[in-house]
Amino acid sequence: MQRAAATFARLGWTATSLAVALLPHLPTLPIWIIVTVSIAAAIRLLLAWHERELPPALLRLAISAIAITLLFIQFHTFNGISAGSALLALMAGLKLLEARSPRDIHIILLIVYFLSLTALLVSSSFGLLLYEMGACWLNTSILLRMTVAQAAPSVRESLQFSARLLLLSVPLAAALWLFFPRFAGPLWNLPSAESAAHSGLTDSMSPGDLSELSLSDEVAFRVRFKGAYPAPNQRYWRGPVLDQFDGHTWSRNDSGAPIPPDLHMQGEAFEYTLSLEPHRHNWLFALDWPGKWDSPRAYLTADRMLVQTDPVSRPIDLTVVSYTEVNDSEELSPRDRRQQTRLPPQRNPRTRQLAARLRAQSAGDLEFAQAALQLFRRESFYYTLTPPRLAQDSVDEFLFDTKRGFCEHFASAYAALMRAGGVPARVVTGYQGGAYNRFAGTWIVRQSDAHAWNEIWIRGKGWIRADPTAAVAPERIERGSVATLNPDGSTVNSWYAWSPWFEDLRLRLDAVRQIWRDTIVGYDKRSQLSILDSLRIPGPDSQKLVLMLAAALIATSLWLTWQLRREIAPAPKDPVVKAFRGLERKLASRGLARSTAETAGALAERISRARPELADSIRPLCREYNELRYGNNAPDAERLRRFRSAIRAFKP
Amino acid sequence: MRQSLARRLRKWAARRHGTDQLPYAVQRRRIYILPTRFGMMLAALLIAMLIAGLNYGSNLALGFAFLMASLAIVAMHHCHRNLLDLTVDADSTADGFALDSAVLRFRISNTAGFGRYDLEIRGGDSEKCIFASAAHSTQDLSIALPSPARGVTRLPQWELRTRYPFGWFRAWTYVQSPIDVFIAPSPRGHRALPATAAGAAGPRTESRSDGEEEFAGLRAYRPGDALKHMAWKVVARGQEPAVRQYADLAASPEWIDWEYLPGVDPEKRLQQLCRWILDSDAQGRRFGLRIPGATVDPAIGPAHRRACLRALAAFT
Repeated sequence: MQRAAATFARLGWTATSLAVALLPHLPTLPIWIIVTVSIAAAIRLLLAWHERELPPALLRLAISAIAITLLFIQFHTFNGISAGSALLALMAGLKLLEARSPRDIHIILLIVYFLSLTALLVSSSFGLLLYEMGACWLNTSILLRMTVAQAAPSVRESLQFSARLLLLSVPLAAALWLFFPRFAGPLWNLPSAESAAHSGLTDSMSPGDLSELSLSDEVAFRVRFKGAYPAPNQRYWRGPVLDQFDGHTWSRNDSGAPIPPDLHMQGEAFEYTLSLEPHRHNWLFALDWPGKWDSPRAYLTADRMLVQTDPVSRPIDLTVVSYTEVNDSEELSPRDRRQQTRLPPQRNPRTRQLAARLRAQSAGDLEFAQAALQLFRRESFYYTLTPPRLAQDSVDEFLFDTKRGFCEHFASAYAALMRAGGVPARVVTGYQGGAYNRFAGTWIVRQSDAHAWNEIWIRGKGWIRADPTAAVAPERIERGSVATLNPDGSTVNSWYAWSPWFEDLRLRLDAVRQIWRDTIVGYDKRSQLSILDSLRIPGPDSQKLVLMLAAALIATSLWLTWQLRREIAPAPKDPVVKAFRGLERKLASRGLARSTAETAGALAERISRARPELADSIRPLCREYNELRYGNNAPDAERLRRFRSAIRAFKP
Repeated sequence: MRQSLARRLRKWAARRHGTDQLPYAVQRRRIYILPTRFGMMLAALLIAMLIAGLNYGSNLALGFAFLMASLAIVAMHHCHRNLLDLTVDADSTADGFALDSAVLRFRISNTAGFGRYDLEIRGGDSEKCIFASAAHSTQDLSIALPSPARGVTRLPQWELRTRYPFGWFRAWTYVQSPIDVFIAPSPRGHRALPATAAGAAGPRTESRSDGEEEFAGLRAYRPGDALKHMAWKVVARGQEPAVRQYADLAASPEWIDWEYLPGVDPEKRLQQLCRWILDSDAQGRRFGLRIPGATVDPAIGPAHRRACLRALAAFT
């Protein structure tokens, strides 16, 4: 009898499982891959329905080669989550196209497991975990049906049985999860800035970038202050510093070596713990200005960005102390000054003229900077989320024509204006503000709090912050962009902000989410060590982990063995039967097992025939068993005790 | 390589376990288990999952990987349990003809409260039989064992296997209960049975009013048989229609004798004898068999036929 080949039903189940696993990948997968996989599945199912032959091997090979080449052209790598997922999806689809044997189907189902896993690499939401557990259950049931060739269990039985197996797996999985050693960083360098599924700040800024980002409700990070927290106009969370301008886009000049600036922190100090969501870049968001931090892998760059040696690819916690003021009296080197005042020639001519005019009216750099801020305040500039699109000379258009913009327009224009006037200036992107969650005691900073502001260099003062947005729309700084923009009917989707009840609910949910993030998603080496400490096992940490893992494995194996044996032969309730079971076990170990249908009398006779030397001992035991069990009187304790000891003494 | 390993393992198991009493309930210590090739693929997948989870520092992905690893371990226990305590019984003999196949008969009982799936039974080079065994059930199975040459072979052991539930592991056990396989020569030859032997044996299904007769067994119904000899009880049980056969003790039996075929190659002789036995049996005649070293007294019926064929199989 052959193992069943790939029939329509089997292929249908396999395709279903694949579809379920691919669903969470849909937003990140290239469209053509989804189309290819769907078409491959449809063709294969149609062929199976009509019981037709597969397409020729050469054609299948050609399709595979073309698809994988296209994939490589698109991603330039097979490494990383998005390229890897795309490759897996493609492989599963192509394998489905040529699926013939049970082995092909097995391979697809294994790929499906891996696709579920890669989805979990991208997002750590509780909902996704639930979905993937469901997908795993379905895939396991389908695998069960695909493996059992003859008289397979029904769909319902398969689902029940795989649910049972998965539930039985949970204790060991939990133990492995708790005690498997975690590492602080990745095993090897990941492709950096892999931002397929992540919204967030990048290392460049064009008009429109932040206004798009500010529509997102996603949490960028949460902050728990130790002690006092700063006033709203001090809550500038410093992200990428952009100091290169091409007339339209600001970007980051990454050439400078990480020279730690010689800074003297002063003013008020704030200590806080940042709970950063992964954003796949290596910068961290510290409050202006970060003075101390507790991660050995973080350092300050020359332009005072707090960065980490490797991209933030997992949720991390970081305790930072920031100061409100910094004393930076060092002179800017001529090279830096050149770099920080560079503007693309022949671009934005009107801005240059304006800068020249303002410069002529001002006594010094600081006055010039203030005059420019005054200009924003005086003239009819509007802070809006839906500014008109800007073309090549974006600063000119914004300053003189449209006059409507979001923070990045103001920051971009102000920095250009400053540079045109000879004042070193740069754009700083990051977040501004944050909402307090009284249920969790933390501040939530969302993508919608993304902000761009400027820093200008003034002799004797060093780099100081200047925020043109604050000049135009001071309420943005005080109350946040959502509150600022909502009254004039903007597009920010904030229905929950209309009702305090919804807002409460949202904060409570976020408090739960934060617990999820702190305990499960953010479980790391540190949490592991604190659990080990509480167990009070002596020895080095690595040894403790190995010990716990081994204990978990052994305990689970024993428990499983016990659990499964109990199902084969449930422990008898009747003490007589229970005692007799001991005799049966002794006989079974000599190959004289009692069969289910055999009465005690028949057993005695059979044993006596097979092993005449046992006849004298087994016959009275079986007789006694019958009397105790089926006799009229309930067995008294003394008789039962004698019966037990006789069985113990019995040696087959 | 693999086959020689398997052979050595079977021999080792035979030495280790001795002979089993039938019916035999599969014991825990007698079940062997190893990962299959699919299981190896799973192991590779699990390692890849672990590395991905660690590299991206994703606790959820790690949790998923560990769940899969635990599932593999749980599946291993279930694979083992799928055989544990399954009760098997077998016919200790099997019959067949050369160049054909012998039929091995087994009885499987599952006393446990759960169904067992994807079980496989095989002995020697027999075909494998894949079956399921529902909770609290007993079933009979027969599998064909190819029998290339005449003779008596002893199948020292047979094997129960399973790859349930996911095909990641294969558990198996050897049942050390020999089955004697009697392979009669294939019935060939066109010589007529010498007439001297063909006595007054008439059709057996006709009862004769005179003379002694004796019930000699059942044979399959053929069109034309008298209805009064139908074994109605057998028909009522839903089995193949059969008719009662009677041996006419008064009639002198015919003999099928080795000496009728002088000078013929021994195997050819045996083939011809086999042909005659089958023909005589089919025609319901009473016959005996004489070959060097064995004599089967004249009788009639399936048991007699089997005895004659086994005598041919055992001829050396």
